[in-house]
Amino acid sequence: MPSHADLDRQIEHLMECKPLPEADVKALCDQARAILVEEWNVQPVKCPVTICGDIHGQFYDLIELFRIGGNAPDTNYLFMGDYVDRGYYSVETVTLLVALKVRYRDRITILRGNHESRQITQVYGFYDECLRKYGNANVWKFFTDLFDYLPLTALIESQIFCLHGGLSPSLDTLDNIRALDRIQEVPHEGPMCDLLWSDPDDRCGWGISPRGAGYTFGQDIAAQFNHTNGLSLISRAHQLVMEGFNWCQDKNVVTVFSAPNYCYRCGNMAAILEIGENMDQNFLQFDPAPRQIEPDTTRKTPDYFL
Amino acid sequence: MDSSSHMASLPEDIITDEHLQQQTQPASASAFASVPQRPPTKSSSEKYAPLDWSVYFDKEDDVAIPESNDVFHVYTAGTEGPVVFCLHGGGYSGLSFAVSASKIKEKARVVAMDLRGHGKSLTEDDLDLSVETMCNDVLAVIKELYSDSPPAIILVGHSCIILLTIIGKKLLHHQSMGGSIAVHVAARRSLSALAGLVVVDVVEGTAMASLIHMQKILSSRMQHFSSIEKAIEWSVRGGSLRNIDSARVSIPATLKYDHSKKCYLYRTELEKTEQYWKGWYEGLSDKFLSCPVPKLLLLAGTDRLDRSLTIGQMQGKFQMVVVRHTGHAIQEDVPDEFATLIVNFISRNRIGPHGIEIPGLRKPAFSKP
Repeated sequence: MPSHADLDRQIEHLMECKPLPEADVKALCDQARAILVEEWNVQPVKCPVTICGDIHGQFYDLIELFRIGGNAPDTNYLFMGDYVDRGYYSVETVTLLVALKVRYRDRITILRGNHESRQITQVYGFYDECLRKYGNANVWKFFTDLFDYLPLTALIESQIFCLHGGLSPSLDTLDNIRALDRIQEVPHEGPMCDLLWSDPDDRCGWGISPRGAGYTFGQDIAAQFNHTNGLSLISRAHQLVMEGFNWCQDKNVVTVFSAPNYCYRCGNMAAILEIGENMDQNFLQFDPAPRQIEPDTTRKTPDYFL
Repeated sequence: MDSSSHMASLPEDIITDEHLQQQTQPASASAFASVPQRPPTKSSSEKYAPLDWSVYFDKEDDVAIPESNDVFHVYTAGTEGPVVFCLHGGGYSGLSFAVSASKIKEKARVVAMDLRGHGKSLTEDDLDLSVETMCNDVLAVIKELYSDSPPAIILVGHSCIILLTIIGKKLLHHQSMGGSIAVHVAARRSLSALAGLVVVDVVEGTAMASLIHMQKILSSRMQHFSSIEKAIEWSVRGGSLRNIDSARVSIPATLKYDHSKKCYLYRTELEKTEQYWKGWYEGLSDKFLSCPVPKLLLLAGTDRLDRSLTIGQMQGKFQMVVVRHTGHAIQEDVPDEFATLIVNFISRNRIGPHGIEIPGLRKPAFSKP
């Protein structure tokens, strides 16, 4: 059982963007699972807390986020999922966040995003990155098994509801969410899928999501959900917004996106949302970290196409 | 002495019987013990023999365009549901969709058109592959096919897919005009409705960056084939296609016989159409994103998205599926998976024979476990 000193050493190691040895990752995931299994589908969180959106393996931008928002545990954090895929450093990113969770379990909350999934990570990069950095898929398996235990949503002081995607036509109340069996691979459809995949929309009512999973929901839906559950705000991630945050649906919903220059090409800002002692809200925007030397991924010659 | 001679014959018989028995037994044991020989491998020419379109499509037709000498060849399959209208990539033909069409037709109708300068289509200028000309070609064919009772159409495009976005917008324009006409002619059925857009393995940024290599890639292909079988074999061994069955039906339509050289050549002289290539891709991403119907992007790899499509995908503007274990021609390499993706796209977006069938969703009742 690693001590605090061991964890501190691992965190220091990870902060330099160096992966942990495979055995250390396994031990870390075992510890994290023991912590996460005790957490709720609607995990209670106290203020003050800083809410963060997608990270997507952009490790140096995560370090920039901590520079802007303050280091854990001095600052409490709530991350709304999508730690892996797309960026070059999913391994280091998710390992660091899990290590911080194990080290400071009550000061950091990590939720599940649609990319915390076996199927998605095999397509969008995390699996390949694990193979490249460890020579086998064991670390990918340790993490994807752990992902099943991540809470689906969080609730700040019973007022601000936080989750990765959005609402579900199958879920009217927070108690409905509490009743879900979350410890499984993200299903292709159904309420758990909706929480990780849905998006707010300008149109009222429920709509078919253009993404192919989840639903779109209108202001009427969000307002009703907030009213029914005594909430003041739904905070979610999942969508790239160019300023890093975006209010919508008459301030019933806010999107927070924390991967600046997403995929190293989109040119967007990132943001985090500080919730103060008195529930006051303050957005902090930030640009990408200074460009690192990009890993040498082979660019193959183009195939024939026309 | 006679009895002595008689006795001598008996031992011979006995010996013979024993000998036969001994011979039979080892043979029998050998037969049981031995692994049966494999049948001889098919010859190369048989393995790569061309397949007829009628194995996969139900019908082929020539569509003559009024007031022109242009005739476009179309293959069709299926009798019910919306129309999946397939536009192949440069250098391919409508038969590129043959194997997948045989599966899509269980749920929808399929039309695969040979574009200008490709397959069995014959036009006055087979080298004019400009966007404007090809858009007009496709719209003219759709008009000829469905002027009486236009169905919902899902446009599926492989490579040259800027056609999709422009054609899509024109169909929508027709739709709105049709709508105003319908106000006055209540009995008239609606004009063709664009109901969906499916893009197969093309991204503007990647395409534009690769165009400078394309002439070299085209010239590095095998150019002459002594037989159709050789051409099919090359397409599979060379790696441009990975599904032999699909290659056997689609490759013959991409060839023509040169009587003077006494060999098969590519039907479409793509290298002579370079002036049009840029027009096929420029502005593609934004046109795709701004088309207001359900959209599906099928890619063979994740590193192909450009900036616009990356932003659009991450904003939830369209569905993206990365198909693994396939090359550029997804509809040929993995036809079953391709067909399933199309059918699921139609089903998920509630696209019926005449358009979206459910205007809104009812909220499903929550059931406690």
